[in-house]
Amino acid sequence: MTSVRSGLLLFGPLLLVLTGAFVVPLLLLAPTSFQEYQPGSGIVSGSFTLGNYARIVADDYYREVVLRTLGLGVSVTIACLMLGYPVAYLIVRGHPRWRLPLTLLVIFPLMLNLVVRSFGWIVLLTNRGVVNNLLTDLGVIETPLKLMFNLTGVMIGLTHIYLPFMVLMLVAALQNVPRDVEAAASTLGSGRFHVFHAVTLPLTAPGIIAGSILVFVLTISALVTPRMLGGPTYQVMATLIYDEYMQLLDWPSGSALSFSLAFVTILIIWISSLTTKRWAGLA
Amino acid sequence: MNDQRPGFSVTTIAWAVIIFLQIPVIVVVLASFSETTYLTIPPQGLTLKWFEAVLTDTTYLTAIRNSLLLALGSTLISLVLGVAASYALFRKMLPGTEVLTSLLMSPLIVPSVVIGVALLQYFTLVGLRGGFLVLLIAHVVITVPYIVRSALASLSGIDLSVEEAARVLGANGLTTFRLITLPLIKPGLVAGALFAFVTSMENVPVTIFLAGPRQTTLPILIFTSVEMGVDPSVAAVSTMLIIATVAALFVAERWTGFHRFV
Repeated sequence: MTSVRSGLLLFGPLLLVLTGAFVVPLLLLAPTSFQEYQPGSGIVSGSFTLGNYARIVADDYYREVVLRTLGLGVSVTIACLMLGYPVAYLIVRGHPRWRLPLTLLVIFPLMLNLVVRSFGWIVLLTNRGVVNNLLTDLGVIETPLKLMFNLTGVMIGLTHIYLPFMVLMLVAALQNVPRDVEAAASTLGSGRFHVFHAVTLPLTAPGIIAGSILVFVLTISALVTPRMLGGPTYQVMATLIYDEYMQLLDWPSGSALSFSLAFVTILIIWISSLTTKRWAGLA
Repeated sequence: MNDQRPGFSVTTIAWAVIIFLQIPVIVVVLASFSETTYLTIPPQGLTLKWFEAVLTDTTYLTAIRNSLLLALGSTLISLVLGVAASYALFRKMLPGTEVLTSLLMSPLIVPSVVIGVALLQYFTLVGLRGGFLVLLIAHVVITVPYIVRSALASLSGIDLSVEEAARVLGANGLTTFRLITLPLIKPGLVAGALFAFVTSMENVPVTIFLAGPRQTTLPILIFTSVEMGVDPSVAAVSTMLIIATVAALFVAERWTGFHRFV
């Protein structure tokens, strides 16, 4: 019994902080999301409505933002996978001497401030930015390309931000593929591409799925990069929540949107952890 | 056997992607040395005046100080609370270990922006808005999962018989933890603490909802100033952050073999 007491002594302080400053605040968001909001006068006290949730699917503008967010999630995940796999492959299967420097070059952007990385892309992508200046000087284009405040900018920025996560997940997966299996396939007459397609790729599937889920979830909840590269007009769910709380002061709509976003991410993570557990059970 | 080495095309693509990862960094560093009042590459002339502008601007200095205090404070509190809680979980002192572990990790699952608005509403409700303490508590919530994750991973790697030996030889629980367990998990904790520090240093989605005008942090300052238009002092302060990150990564790698913990 002394064990439980010292357990409480050790666990209690953190439990208190997390309950008071995380669990309760999140739960208190729920009642707000069912309240009615009148522009000008604020929250109607004592009201109950499902309208804030209904609007997310019914209203054209909201639906566009939600679909855009999910679409970005899928495209950024695919881009990270396509770009990340060769890097992970080179790190694990390349010359051992390059392993540490390459790993550090992947970790470095990850450790670097998100705002700084997004700012770097602004310098590159604005109308009179590095990319446009270069293309104009080379005579490729005459008027600057619109690379920011649209899908292109947000997509490039988010892919850059979340690529390191994907690479690290794929490195972990590739390390678990025994080389003997690949060698066996190759001895049995499989070509290089066939070995990859029939052996390496399926064996790294758990890592691919884990990395994809991580990148997808991070992308749909991103605020900083979409706002900095998408501006105030090209909205995603997180930036819309931000505006509803800070600019429009429509907290009911904002909290309904917040709940929907949290619900989607938690659902995806929950389903994926169930599948992973089932796989682990089968193996 | 050479068959298994990545071929020329894979190597080329991989290196191109690695360069893509570094491009914004290189651009920011180069732009911060330009004499011009707009951002340009290659830099026109060579000057340190934007760095001087940052280091003499009280807005920047206050923001840097706020960020460092907040990151240092929340990392230390998270370390103490997180390691204590992890040890209780590892030793299975409480029932429902699995549920409790998920609770500690859950701030990673909930989108930051949602944590931000939830705390904004909550602290407004209890009348505790706009203070440093509020920010500190919020940052403990978002940094503690990294400490718990690294503490649990390191604890699971140590040999229980070493702790038992110390106990048999007469050391009490606290002494055993201090002299045996703590040194064994230290490398993992250093990596976890670095992650916690970086997470606090770069947080915008939670901080922006809670920080009063006097608690503006560096990332919030950059984030909001970019909306009004960019000037090279933003590049200069970014370059300073880049240098600090490189230095931290270098020290951590030398000290603990940091890349193993990522």
